[in-house]
Amino acid sequence: MLTPPSDGMFAALLEAVPDAMVCTAADGRVVLVNAQAERLFGYERAELIGQRVEMLVPDTARAEHPSHLAMYPADPQHRPMGAGLALAGRRRDASTFPAEISLSAIDTGEGILVAAAIRDVTAQLQTKDLERASESQERFIYAVSHDLRAPLRALSGYSGVLLEDYGGVLGEEGRSYAERIVAVSEQMRDLLDYLMQVSHLSRAELHLESVDLSAEAARIVEEIQRREPDRRVRFTIQQPVPARADSGLIRTVLENLLDNAWKFTSRQDDASIEFGTAPNEDAAVCCYVRDNGVGFDPAYEGKLFQPFQRLHAARDFPATGTGTGLASVRQIVELHGGRVWAEGAVGAGATFYFTLDEKEST
Amino acid sequence: MTSRTILLVEDNPDDEALTLRAFDKSNIHNKVVVKRDGAEALAYLFPGEGEGEGDGDDAPTPALILLDLNLPKVGGLEVLRRMRADERTQMIPVVVLTSSKLEEDVLVSYRNGANAYVRKPVKFSEFTEAVKALGVFWLLLNEPVPSVAPKLGLR
Repeated sequence: MLTPPSDGMFAALLEAVPDAMVCTAADGRVVLVNAQAERLFGYERAELIGQRVEMLVPDTARAEHPSHLAMYPADPQHRPMGAGLALAGRRRDASTFPAEISLSAIDTGEGILVAAAIRDVTAQLQTKDLERASESQERFIYAVSHDLRAPLRALSGYSGVLLEDYGGVLGEEGRSYAERIVAVSEQMRDLLDYLMQVSHLSRAELHLESVDLSAEAARIVEEIQRREPDRRVRFTIQQPVPARADSGLIRTVLENLLDNAWKFTSRQDDASIEFGTAPNEDAAVCCYVRDNGVGFDPAYEGKLFQPFQRLHAARDFPATGTGTGLASVRQIVELHGGRVWAEGAVGAGATFYFTLDEKEST
Repeated sequence: MTSRTILLVEDNPDDEALTLRAFDKSNIHNKVVVKRDGAEALAYLFPGEGEGEGDGDDAPTPALILLDLNLPKVGGLEVLRRMRADERTQMIPVVVLTSSKLEEDVLVSYRNGANAYVRKPVKFSEFTEAVKALGVFWLLLNEPVPSVAPKLGLR
């Protein structure tokens, strides 16, 4: 490697810049480069100094470049090069890479140098491509789950018509098959609703506001009790639990957790369900929903929050859904920057935790 | 009351069959005219205009229009917009009955002058209930627009 040019400070500064730097004199010849430029373009310093800067410009843009370069000193402000154009650099092996280049003029006292800071943006472009691909995938999932509703409505509908209008002809067995079609259609509707929610949620913006979680929990509990007024369950709700959250989404979280607690305590004589907060180092708010129901095998804790997973057979708990409730919970909580986990044991109840509003983000 | 026509704009034959049956089962025996795309619906509402099969008769005034959004040729939102821009159909109650729950569809429907927006339930019993409720509300409970209104120049 050659010794850096005279002015030590300037050279040191040039080396400290994270971008590749190429300084050009008014005649378009390279005067200075830094190590990052050597690495980026694959040339040694000695091979660049004194050469025309066009050797770093892809063939397609090379012919134009000298005229652009000549115009720069007329309006020598710091600015991105080729605004709105897709720029590229040319490596020694003639390969090219997408680049972001910003220009500034440096008055050295012996004439003006044009300094170009060059950044390889391959990774950024790939990220953008990935984002675009995932967005179009989400849109596809949404469209499919939407379109599948129509045939599903027909399935449920005609089975319902069979039951209502031809129940007598069908006989008991025939009716039970038609009833199963209706029930399965409903399950599939829930799955489609989940898919729609998932595809939509990742795009939806959160509308954060101050929410009293215990007030929400109390409202949900009231609704649940109204559905099965004969069940006796002791509810304990800590008050108040203020948080910053998207009120609609956080309601879905609480609904799912409290619904589960209600469902899985259905065989308990002295069922109790508790909503409260626990101390937590990482988050501003850490809530839990605890029940003394059937619990779960901790070995499967990780599976709890995965979509379409159920730990209890539909036969044992007919009201059990499609295994998407806790997956929704996790998605929403993570969207809020929090996390979810569960503690429990078979026959010893379950506690579901979620955090909100991580401290570092406030 | 049975003389008051319902216009059902629906391209899905299954939804059509289930809707007609739901009316029937709910003892709503009004005449139901079915149009299977937006262009057909516009030709029916504005006879003699465009490529419609118009015969120069007065434009019909259905007592209620159930309008799907996703329709062949001319979409539901465009049908709605054209209806609201015309004095003859400006005040006819329009209920958007669709699978979509996109916020944007709901918003544009109301902006274009929909009187209600109902998402078609998948579950058979809920679907039947929804159709019945719409029929009962718009044909029996709701006070219709007086037929003299256009002559008075009311808007």
